Amino acid sequence: MTSSCECFSPFKGESERVYADIFVENTDISSMVLQDGKVSQAQQVRLYGAGIRAVCGSETSYAYTMDLSEEGLRKAANSFTPTPLRGGGLPLQDFIHPFNPSSPRGMGGEAVRKILLDVEEKARALDSSIIRVKAYVSQRMQQVQFAGSDGTAFQDFRPRTSLSVSIVMERGGQTQMGFASRMMQMGQEFFSDALIDEVVREAVSRTDFLFAASQIEGGEMPVVMAAGSSGILLHEAIGHAFEADFIRTGDSIFTGKLGQQICHPSISIVDDGTLTGDAGMLRYDDEGIAGQRTVLVHEGKLNSFLYDRISAHHFGVKPTGNGRRESFRCLPLPRMRSTYMLPGEAREEDIIRSVKRGIYAESFTNGQVQIGAGDFTFFMKTGYLIEDGRLTRPLRDLNIIGNGPEALRRISMVGDNLKIDHSASMCGKEGQRVAVSQGLPTVLIDKLIVG
Amino acid sequence: MMNDELIYRAEEDIQRLPARLDYKLVLLENHEDNIVLRDGKVEKTLRATSHSLAINLYLDGRDGFFYTNDLRPDSVKGFIRQAFETTRLLEPDDSRTLADPSRYYQGGGPDLQNFDASLSEIDPEEKISLLRDIAAEAEGSDPRIISMQTRYTDRQHQARYLISNGFDQSEQSSYCTLTSIVTVEGEGGQHPMDGWGESRLFFHQMPRHGIAPVALRRTLQKVGQRPAPSGRYRMILESPCAGNFLQPILNAMNGQALQQKSSFLLGKLGERVLSPLVNIVDDPLQPGTRGASLFDYDGVATQRRELFTDGCLKTFFIDTPMSRKLGIAATTQGIHRLIMKPHTNPSPLSSGGSGEGVSILVTDFNGGNCDPVTGNFSYGIEGLLMEGGTVVQPVSGMNITGNMLDVWQRLSHVADDADPWETELIPSLTFEDVAFSGC
Repeated sequence: MTSSCECFSPFKGESERVYADIFVENTDISSMVLQDGKVSQAQQVRLYGAGIRAVCGSETSYAYTMDLSEEGLRKAANSFTPTPLRGGGLPLQDFIHPFNPSSPRGMGGEAVRKILLDVEEKARALDSSIIRVKAYVSQRMQQVQFAGSDGTAFQDFRPRTSLSVSIVMERGGQTQMGFASRMMQMGQEFFSDALIDEVVREAVSRTDFLFAASQIEGGEMPVVMAAGSSGILLHEAIGHAFEADFIRTGDSIFTGKLGQQICHPSISIVDDGTLTGDAGMLRYDDEGIAGQRTVLVHEGKLNSFLYDRISAHHFGVKPTGNGRRESFRCLPLPRMRSTYMLPGEAREEDIIRSVKRGIYAESFTNGQVQIGAGDFTFFMKTGYLIEDGRLTRPLRDLNIIGNGPEALRRISMVGDNLKIDHSASMCGKEGQRVAVSQGLPTVLIDKLIVG
Repeated sequence: MMNDELIYRAEEDIQRLPARLDYKLVLLENHEDNIVLRDGKVEKTLRATSHSLAINLYLDGRDGFFYTNDLRPDSVKGFIRQAFETTRLLEPDDSRTLADPSRYYQGGGPDLQNFDASLSEIDPEEKISLLRDIAAEAEGSDPRIISMQTRYTDRQHQARYLISNGFDQSEQSSYCTLTSIVTVEGEGGQHPMDGWGESRLFFHQMPRHGIAPVALRRTLQKVGQRPAPSGRYRMILESPCAGNFLQPILNAMNGQALQQKSSFLLGKLGERVLSPLVNIVDDPLQPGTRGASLFDYDGVATQRRELFTDGCLKTFFIDTPMSRKLGIAATTQGIHRLIMKPHTNPSPLSSGGSGEGVSILVTDFNGGNCDPVTGNFSYGIEGLLMEGGTVVQPVSGMNITGNMLDVWQRLSHVADDADPWETELIPSLTFEDVAFSGC
């Protein structure tokens, strides 16, 4: 593939001004669903095609096609490019190698069916008030090939597997529904008895928890974020606003703050594409940049943004390997991978003990941020009220709101118990969804709005 | 024109399988153009046409769904063979069958006048020129502008259906959208951002004015946003975001949620569950409107359907499998074009204020969720704190909390300002005594 790259220049003579690349994909997604005690639904999706991009200054043209013949690729490449980029002679087909038919497949259908039935049996053995079990296994086997006009080229195989379990329980006329999931960049090695037990137990215990939990009257209060899925705080409060396309356009509230002290020196935050098996792991991003670990905040100072090729070129820095896309139909954008805070020194019990009245937030469903204003929210599904330094009343269904830079400044204690959360977590931006993960040690934020 | 040969070849491939199956085949063709202008210059262009094939196989109560865009003949043949093997692995479930053919659309319906065949033929330069005109109305008009993005999107959709128990129809639709998003220098280092967009079915219907200035006005009204004190306020939901607050109720009407006992509307059919001011219909048969459709994805003929009449729940969304599982009549798979009937005219805002006392005009939601079983919700909001029709301050960083059925009982006003070009026509809504948490 590499040997052909020098030919990949439909715009010879304009190489100073033009960068171009091609991203080819062959993806099989298979899923099976257990519902009402039966594995009676299955889905299979095949995505096959190529996306072709040309960049000239600040202008990007993109086209995609399912026709990987030379004619099909040329037609796509010339379909909508602005005048300076129009050109013939695209030997693009030279770059497309046959996809390897013997690439590892996911687990076979019969084995998945048995796993799903096992989930139902394990769940019902844990609690007799369960009236519904729904379980879902998805296996996505993505093969990609990439070539850029600067000589970059790679091919990769990216398996991704997830298990999701939802439980409905009925007690004394009350019904509650809970949920748990895991997603890893793995093939059939994803499945183990231990993992299935863990997901089932988590789904059952979360559902059980809801019977006793309630909402509280909202207002401003201290929030202790439990280790693990609380990493959603970083994802929403700063992660999106660190994506360098928003810095390039001036939209982000962190624009112009590179090198500045933005929080306590005990805080360091990274975005990492090198965690083996993690949903956000990338050997290469979707622009051919090698996977890497990017320090966003170093000892409280803003150290780096998340750069794709275009934003890196704009700022005269190296891309950080954050150019990602949902599929060949989409332009790559700066996106997060696995975002987490490095551990501090406080013990969790000391953090909880320091709070007179506040919230201990444990599990979450969704979050959102407004890039320019910095206002973020995330929805706490389960947690506790903290009274006089102790966890007391079980709580549920609270939306927590804050402002990114303010919330960072208000982190006053960082625990020693970093945990990366591997729940199935998909991040949306401009209509594209990519898999991410996040992590956090237990932290105390002195004040957030809880509703 | 779609290539019928593809769908017939797939049908032959299925008929050659070593078992008698029922099937649904949908051949899809989509064409899209996307152009983004930033600060007056073209930033991104995308043009593509995609083809794909969706297949449902039904084998003795087993139902599999399969989708591929690899339409090379050998690939389709192999894919169908693999789909068959997967379907065979499933356990039989008697509910999983095709719809009763007597419910299928039989043809002869009106021309829905919702397809612009010229969209993919229009010179991109004409679309760029339209964008430049739209953007020029606001560019440079305020020194606080940091950046302005203006986007044109259009899409042509065509689908050919072939169902083994007697359905053979085609459908097509199109739309174009213009959107403007403006970011300005705010207070305390904030960069408030907001936007405005308009959609039409045909290119020649696209507005030439007024989009970017509205986006700029909406952004500037956010400058100085901060939380208001916690308390109970009258809440006015602005039309563009009012549909979001109805969504959990629509989700709770879904047959799957009912069958899984995860709906707060379970057992409430025929009851007055919302304010008597709530009158909502699904009307897919109006020509020249977005969402208009003669049949649903199962091939079942669409019809005008009352969802709520004077607050009374009139129907659930029950497809064929859920009809069999729940033992009730099938209705529709889902909604196509939702219309909430205005109750009084005009909206409190257009009549010069938000009425007596203090209210919060909600212009957008920011995160949050609703528990599908209990209907308890908590949503982040932003908007304007109003007193006697005057803006007191822009607000953000606040939550509203409550229970869906409880808050919808306190609906006191339904305006008449829904955008007729949307698929959900939900006007501005006023709710009394809503719990807000802020500073």
